[in-house]
Amino acid sequence: MRIKYLTADSNWQKRLEDNGFGFHTDENNVPYWIEHYYYSISPEFADKVYNATTELWQMCLEAVDHVITNKLFDQFQIPIFFHDHITKSWENDAPSIYGRFDFVYDDIKQQLKVLEFNADTPTSLYETGVTQWQWMQHYFRDRKDQFNSVHDRLIESWKELKPYLKGDTLHFSCMRETLEDLTNVEYLRDTAIQAGINTQLIYIDDIGWNGVNFTDLNEDTITDIFKLYPWEWLVYEPFALHIPNDEAEANWIEPSWKMILSNKAIMAVLWQLYPNHPLLLETYFDTPNGMRDYVKKPLLSREGANVTMYKNGAIVEATPGDYGEEGYICQALANLHQETTGYSIIGSWVIGQESCGITFRESNNRITTDKSRFIPHIIEE
Amino acid sequence: MNRKSSKAVSLVLITAALASCSKTPEKEENKEQAQKVYMRADSSAPYTDVTEQYNQQRHSSGGGMGSALLWYMAFRPLMGGGMGYASNGLSHQANVGNNTNKSNAVKKQTSARGGFGNTSKSSTVSS
Repeated sequence: MRIKYLTADSNWQKRLEDNGFGFHTDENNVPYWIEHYYYSISPEFADKVYNATTELWQMCLEAVDHVITNKLFDQFQIPIFFHDHITKSWENDAPSIYGRFDFVYDDIKQQLKVLEFNADTPTSLYETGVTQWQWMQHYFRDRKDQFNSVHDRLIESWKELKPYLKGDTLHFSCMRETLEDLTNVEYLRDTAIQAGINTQLIYIDDIGWNGVNFTDLNEDTITDIFKLYPWEWLVYEPFALHIPNDEAEANWIEPSWKMILSNKAIMAVLWQLYPNHPLLLETYFDTPNGMRDYVKKPLLSREGANVTMYKNGAIVEATPGDYGEEGYICQALANLHQETTGYSIIGSWVIGQESCGITFRESNNRITTDKSRFIPHIIEE
Repeated sequence: MNRKSSKAVSLVLITAALASCSKTPEKEENKEQAQKVYMRADSSAPYTDVTEQYNQQRHSSGGGMGSALLWYMAFRPLMGGGMGYASNGLSHQANVGNNTNKSNAVKKQTSARGGFGNTSKSSTVSS
């Protein structure tokens, strides 16, 4: 994998906006979307990511089963009132639509290592499935290829999921006034519509409770709902106490068993279950367990917040944030791929249980944050 | 090799949705100049500013004070959360009474809202 440059259009921002991608540049005029260079990868490398993602997904399902069977919820700081809901969602095979693994690639060992699994509310879906694909069409037409069937897999997955819906309408929800979240949710809703599902958008704070069921703004019962809102936020809000009492037993997508996979504690559990597995980094709960080069991460941290990096036992890099009270994992320090433009990680999507596409995120520092840039990719011989 | 690539990407919804999202919100100073409307359910209840609801209804339906929402609010049952001004000192039954219209209006809106979404007001959920 290596960076290649091209000559970007002078009006590329407008092209992206016309295609529904409005957050290509942040409020400080710093680009999030990179137009003028890309990652060139070989077909073999794309296959390597595909195979790693497929294998890890199966390992994660085993790990969820292990956590639920052994009632290890306390290690994940999941409140007691919600244990049964998670167990039930797992036993009932409650449908999941998507998730994204974040990998690093060690150039020396030529080895992928998973950093974490964004299993509950992964974003950058629109820029992966649509904007990245349109970028390739714009500059390369059909002459080049991408590891990217995200759009097709979403539509197919909704079709597969449709028979399991409990009602006639699938609601989609996110916070209001967040363009990035709305873009992701509306893209998912777009693909659900294309799969023949009736949909409605409702902001998360507009969800009602009538004493028996959750309701939309028409006072209709919500039977199935996709929420781009983390479970770990939901369950600590008083309204969540209604969820176990919901007579309709609404399908929540992602299902509540995904709480286990989106929690960084899963990385320590995976290491316990699959010690020294080549795709895993050595990881422990709370303490480094003798490691000198490691990263300390809060169990529920998002976008690289409150991450502290240690080398030879001393702090070399740290990020601010509001996480950490819930506990930590200590994960062996990974070697990140580095170009002159920055450090990069690979996001690999699982949609409808299949590995189906990748993204590259690039940072000036070794800790990936919400300031990290999105780099498109091309498969080339 | 099972890895695949999309051959076409078509959208049915997203462009229109995002275009409507990018509208500039109404300026605060304009809101300040608007007529203020206050209501209360009964003499035991405090007055509540319902200007926004009143204006929304007036502009959307032309119904003004007789619109469905304000009609409902005048008979608002005692329930927690959200907008409203019914006195907590009255029982639900006393609020609804035997008036059929009033009872039907109450039945139309029985959900408490705003219970989700308080954890993060300023950031996205991105991960």
